Amino acid sequence: MFARFRSSWRALRRRAEWERDLEAELRSHVEHRAADLERQGMAGGQAARQARLELGAGEAFKEKCRAANGLRWPDELRQDLRYAGRMMRRSPGFTAVAALSLALGIGANTAVFSVLNALILKPLAVSSPDTVFFVQTSDQKSGAFRSQSYPNYRDLRDRNTTLAGLAAYRIVPMGLDMGGGAQRVSGNLVTGNYFDLLGIRPARGRFFHAADDQKPDASPFAVLSYACWQGRFAADPRIVGSTIRINALPYTVLGVAPSGFFGTELLYRPEIWVPMMMQAQIEPRPWLEERDDFNIWLIGRLERGVAPRQAEENLNAIAAALAREFPATNEGLRLRLTRPGLVGDLLRAPAKAFTGGVMALAGLVLLAACVNLASLLGARAADRDRELAIRISIGAGRARVLRQLLVESVLLALLGGAAGCALALALLRLLAHWRAPLDVPVHIEVHADLAVFLFALAVSIATGLLFGLAPARQAWASDPNRALKGMPSPGAAGRRWALRDLLLVAQVTVCCLLVTACFVAVRGLARSLATPLGFDARGVAVAGFDLGLARFKPEDGMLFQRRALDAVARLPGVVAAAYARSLPLGLNQSTTIVYPEGTAVFRAANGKEAAYFNVSPDYFRAMGTRLLAGREFTWHDDPKAPRVAIVNETFARQVIWRAGRDPRWGRAGAARDAVGRRFNVETAKPPVEVVEVVGVVEDGKYFSLSEDARPVIFYPAPQAYSAATVLIVRSSRTAAEVAGEMRATINALDSRLPLYGVGTVTQTLGLAFLPSQAAAFALGAFGLLAIMLAVTGTYGLAAYAVSRRVREIGIRVAMGARPWQLLRFVLGRTALLLAAGSALGLVLGTAAGRLLGSIVYHASPSDPLIWPAVAVTMAVIGLGAACAPARRALAIDPVRALRHE
Amino acid sequence: MNPAVDLLPGTLDLLILKAVSLGPQHGYGVLLRIEQISGNRFQIEQGALYPALYRLEHQGLLQAEWGTSDNNRRAKFYQLTAAGRRRLREETEGWRRLVGAMAAALAARPEEV
Repeated sequence: MFARFRSSWRALRRRAEWERDLEAELRSHVEHRAADLERQGMAGGQAARQARLELGAGEAFKEKCRAANGLRWPDELRQDLRYAGRMMRRSPGFTAVAALSLALGIGANTAVFSVLNALILKPLAVSSPDTVFFVQTSDQKSGAFRSQSYPNYRDLRDRNTTLAGLAAYRIVPMGLDMGGGAQRVSGNLVTGNYFDLLGIRPARGRFFHAADDQKPDASPFAVLSYACWQGRFAADPRIVGSTIRINALPYTVLGVAPSGFFGTELLYRPEIWVPMMMQAQIEPRPWLEERDDFNIWLIGRLERGVAPRQAEENLNAIAAALAREFPATNEGLRLRLTRPGLVGDLLRAPAKAFTGGVMALAGLVLLAACVNLASLLGARAADRDRELAIRISIGAGRARVLRQLLVESVLLALLGGAAGCALALALLRLLAHWRAPLDVPVHIEVHADLAVFLFALAVSIATGLLFGLAPARQAWASDPNRALKGMPSPGAAGRRWALRDLLLVAQVTVCCLLVTACFVAVRGLARSLATPLGFDARGVAVAGFDLGLARFKPEDGMLFQRRALDAVARLPGVVAAAYARSLPLGLNQSTTIVYPEGTAVFRAANGKEAAYFNVSPDYFRAMGTRLLAGREFTWHDDPKAPRVAIVNETFARQVIWRAGRDPRWGRAGAARDAVGRRFNVETAKPPVEVVEVVGVVEDGKYFSLSEDARPVIFYPAPQAYSAATVLIVRSSRTAAEVAGEMRATINALDSRLPLYGVGTVTQTLGLAFLPSQAAAFALGAFGLLAIMLAVTGTYGLAAYAVSRRVREIGIRVAMGARPWQLLRFVLGRTALLLAAGSALGLVLGTAAGRLLGSIVYHASPSDPLIWPAVAVTMAVIGLGAACAPARRALAIDPVRALRHE
Repeated sequence: MNPAVDLLPGTLDLLILKAVSLGPQHGYGVLLRIEQISGNRFQIEQGALYPALYRLEHQGLLQAEWGTSDNNRRAKFYQLTAAGRRRLREETEGWRRLVGAMAAALAARPEEV
């Protein structure tokens, strides 16, 4: 087998030489034979002629030798390709339309696949990525994702027997001072074994190791990302060993990471890595010894030969032991190994569902394009009946004709695929330039790699074969005798129509399905835009800064916050000004455990998780959140006063209400009743603190638009200092204008303080609206593509129906048929098919609700508006597509039509 | 002279292998040798010889090399490869069995049934 392949390959590669050899060998044969004949007494010239004659006809003979050597196949393929090229040039319009619709279909698929590949399929750029796992912690009871605490990490690392290494990392913004004031850059605090565990090599200098990360505050080292070194330090060759200032303290640069390494989270690209033991210098509050401070993520590498399941059992045994030793913090924690890159399953699961769902819909678009082309090619093949019949009758062989047709369609598909690839690349470049307006830089950078191109190639070839099958089948079944006489094959007339009808129904079904998906997505977007957020984003400007990056002490920081607040409050047109640690629907959110009044045992199982925000007085007025009962915070709610909080309605109902109030009072009652009541909140020491509720505000959305109502606490900023600060200003002027003035005002107070997230609240809400926007964009594009395909498909079929029946129509007109009778006769069937396809598509679209649910928030395919909207759209498509053919049918002049043949 | 016999389909390849096994030969030489070893009873059609040779070479049973023939002409010489020798052995064995079986069958007399 191998020998054959090699011999064919050799012959193919040195084709000219092979031919010369054959020629020479045959000449040699003739000479030998002629010499023999001469010896037997024949004259010289006569002998040579006789020898040539005996050998036989040259070309047919050589062809046999070529076939014997496996050379015929490529020869014929070349002929087929040449012929296909000629056919395409002969009908450039058809070729252009076909290639374009394929380019759109293949381009959409390639683009979606690139994203899928980059986010889900491609492993991290580390050595042996198949043994590297994210060690994911979740709450056994609720299944909710949890981070880990450093003491827990230390125990897991030291006690396990199944991991070759376990490292921890944390996403932290850092203030990098380059001389002209600090800039906020993305950073990672990582344990010393991080780089060694991942097995990557520095581009320059060295990484830090476990030995460099032993004692707190003893290892002021930094590793820079390649992009940081290139961009911020102009690729300074003396960077290794130099000193940089991070959060106003000096760090020695040990090395530069390789250009292909962007940390272990796909969406977050750190520029600086600092050993975790330096935590207390980087962040204001030390947590290295706090077992209840869950704020780091773990990544581990399996020991050689250990299965992930074994490691999970081992880690869970340790987790159980830790739960016994520290029940208050560790009860009910479960560990799992998941693929790294998207915070374990936290982002990976929704990303997978989203890209998978969009991929499925993109596949449907391509299917619609295929069906469209199949029916177009089928109609063309019917017109080529004679040509194919001639080729078969002069001995081409059915297989050969079949191959010819498939080569034509695959060539067309490859043409479309190449254009589609170019389209996808352009789309990806757009995506790479897009930046989410967030306080953490999120990169969705997708490069088309080999896998993507192979995918596009495979899809193109599969597409070509798929839509080439219909005409090929037709050619296979056709009878050359009849075709040459201009007769249809027996029974084929009815059957061929049936096949084409089915194709149209399929196409309309797919189109209708995609249009349904498109409408569901648009409605979802509309609904998520209309979701009550619990605040009014219009006219609110914000500016963020982190006093920790500038190493403010808490007392100084609080004073600065107050000064900044007073300064921006004096800006013209300001209605209300406040500050908070973070905004709702941003990335930086925190939760805590609360216990209703009267709880005896303070264990996580008895408590309730609640989100919390630290806000200054006037926050609710600035954000436009309604106060339902009680009062707002004042500056007198300071550390000397009793601990107070404002809670939302859900908190009042779920935490206060459950503590045994009278249910007859209803919702308003719950809010009123909550004021003045107390609850317990967990703190490091003593175990809990008692907090009094002084006000209740309306519910809102805090983490994502799709969340259910959750209990939320607001603490007064004077009682709960936070270095991270977002100034919030509501004004009567445009928010963007005010945001610029806020930047100037804060810069005037402290020019070295790095600002971030300066803009309008609407901008910072980008992340929350991103999923619905992406879904509406992708599905809208697909829906539009599908509509285009359905219009061309229906138009093609209707026009074909009219053109085939010109004579018949002429007769009918001559007999006195009325226009509507004519239309029913010509286009009735098309309309019927269209209606059938639409009905089927609607039913399928409704059934596919779950698929859509993974893509679109608030997806409800049973929405009463969707059905009529889709029905109207499909009717418009049908009318639009059938309009021109119908006019043509009505304009037929019977005299001319009858003389036509 | 012996009367000519028609070649059974499929036997040409075996004859070529046999002829070449007796020593490297060029195409025309193979032709002559087959006629010689069959006592001139097989007439090989010249047009069928070369496709067969190419097929056998393609299958890796023969290998070819350019050389000079007895009467000082350039010619392509074929010789058996290891696979070719193995194939020749197997086919010869198979052929013998077939001939034996055919002979026994055709020699059967009524009393033996």
